[in-house]
Amino acid sequence: MSAAGTTAASVPLLEARDISASYGHVQALKPTSLHIAEGELVTILGPNGAGKTTLMRALTRLTASMGSVFFRGEDISGLPTHKLARRGIVMVQEGRGLFPQMSVRENLIIGAYLHAAEAEAQMGTVFELFPRLRERIDQIAGSLSGGEQQMLAIGRALMAKPQLLMLDEPSLGLAPRVAFEILSTLSELNRRGIGILLVEQKAPLALKLARRVYVISLGKIVAELKTDEIKSYHDLARYYLH
Amino acid sequence: MPNLVEFLQSVVNGIGVGLIYGLVGIGFCVIYNASGIVNFAQGVFVMLGGMVCQALLTQFGIPLMLAVALTIPLVAISGMIMELVIVRPMMHRGATLFAIILATLAAQIMIERITLLTFGDRPRTYHEFTTGGPLKIGDIAIGYQLFWILGCGALLVLLLWLFFTRTRTGRALRACSQNREAAQLLGVPVARMMLISFALSAALGAVAGILVTPTQYTAYNVGTPFGVNGFIAAIIGGFGRAGGALAGGLLLGVLQALAIVALGAGFKNVAALSALLVVLLLFPNGLFAGFSRGAKAH
Repeated sequence: MSAAGTTAASVPLLEARDISASYGHVQALKPTSLHIAEGELVTILGPNGAGKTTLMRALTRLTASMGSVFFRGEDISGLPTHKLARRGIVMVQEGRGLFPQMSVRENLIIGAYLHAAEAEAQMGTVFELFPRLRERIDQIAGSLSGGEQQMLAIGRALMAKPQLLMLDEPSLGLAPRVAFEILSTLSELNRRGIGILLVEQKAPLALKLARRVYVISLGKIVAELKTDEIKSYHDLARYYLH
Repeated sequence: MPNLVEFLQSVVNGIGVGLIYGLVGIGFCVIYNASGIVNFAQGVFVMLGGMVCQALLTQFGIPLMLAVALTIPLVAISGMIMELVIVRPMMHRGATLFAIILATLAAQIMIERITLLTFGDRPRTYHEFTTGGPLKIGDIAIGYQLFWILGCGALLVLLLWLFFTRTRTGRALRACSQNREAAQLLGVPVARMMLISFALSAALGAVAGILVTPTQYTAYNVGTPFGVNGFIAAIIGGFGRAGGALAGGLLLGVLQALAIVALGAGFKNVAALSALLVVLLLFPNGLFAGFSRGAKAH
């Protein structure tokens, strides 16, 4: 199915075709295809070193990649990373990717780099979701707790008014309660119409959120499953051991 | 041993030249923060500032303030050309940072030679911004130009602070220095930020050159000592920290001035490099970073 030839209703929000990436001579991501529909929340599951982060980096051009990426039918394969945010594609990196020596307020303001005029209003929306950030507004980002840092990373991404929010292991290093809180917020964002592509190692949490899951192993997507078809975690484990 | 008057006079002189080193050091930090590159051609901007301003004043008869207003953007453009012609193509071709740093050194030599061929090797200067003086406080003489250096230096530091903390571009430059990938993901055009950093850094060098030329002289080869001392100032202050570079420059300037009066002019650089060694031994990440860490520990 060609992206140009599809009808408006069936055009995926994001579609990657045969995307691959290498580090030197090592092919970390073998040709892989995936898609996310408008307003969908899709999770990528896989063990350590499977290629999840490389896939996210390849999609956002942080790592040079081969293959094609379409956003609402438009070929964005050749766009540099900084132009993706203008299209509405924003990623929260693994490890949160904050500006650690800047305050919470400054981190949020940089998030609205492309929407400076709407920064104040957008900040209000972020504080609605994460009231704790309002209390820490003048605190240096690097001094926040892990959970607060993750809230700030997501809040900052929201300042960029994403249509598609990509998150690389947002629950990493967080206490289970905080991780649940963060992932619940993602669910709320998805209900508000933001498409979400979530890389997650914690399968139980991820399966609660998503309707569809890609399983990646050894640098390749090995399965695409609907979460209601997964009867037990053993169904997933066999892919992990692929 | 110098007497009290000589000591105080040296401190005054050292503050003036130290502020110039500080401005050059801040120039190093601005580019380093945006790109990770140490631009060894930084001193060349100081030389160009003095040379271009002198040429506009004497060869074109332009009034001083207009000459200054023209010199700064002209030198800033030279910084942008360096980024566009040398640094950016090398980065796109995957050159290592070491190779790019070496290329900036080659650019410095090239620009010096072009200046030599264009302007000749005759040292040049121009009159101080305010004629008359010096101001005498007891036996200590303070040239009026020092007040220009202090005033403009302080104003520049204030403007830089406002730029980096209050403007969209300034914040984006700081964001690039702390996490370039995250900045890109939020839509910050990192390549444009690098271009701006080279322009800003060159403009800072130009201001330093314009201010210092009346107290000394300028020639095609004065860039190297200013570049080296500005680099040392930046390292003493904790490389990448603008405030640290300024403090490092002032410390270095005063130390050099004291070394000249106490030990003779030949010991000026010995003092500078000894100060660098001591600071690096005690605070491997620079004085400013060292103090910050110490403060946190308490």
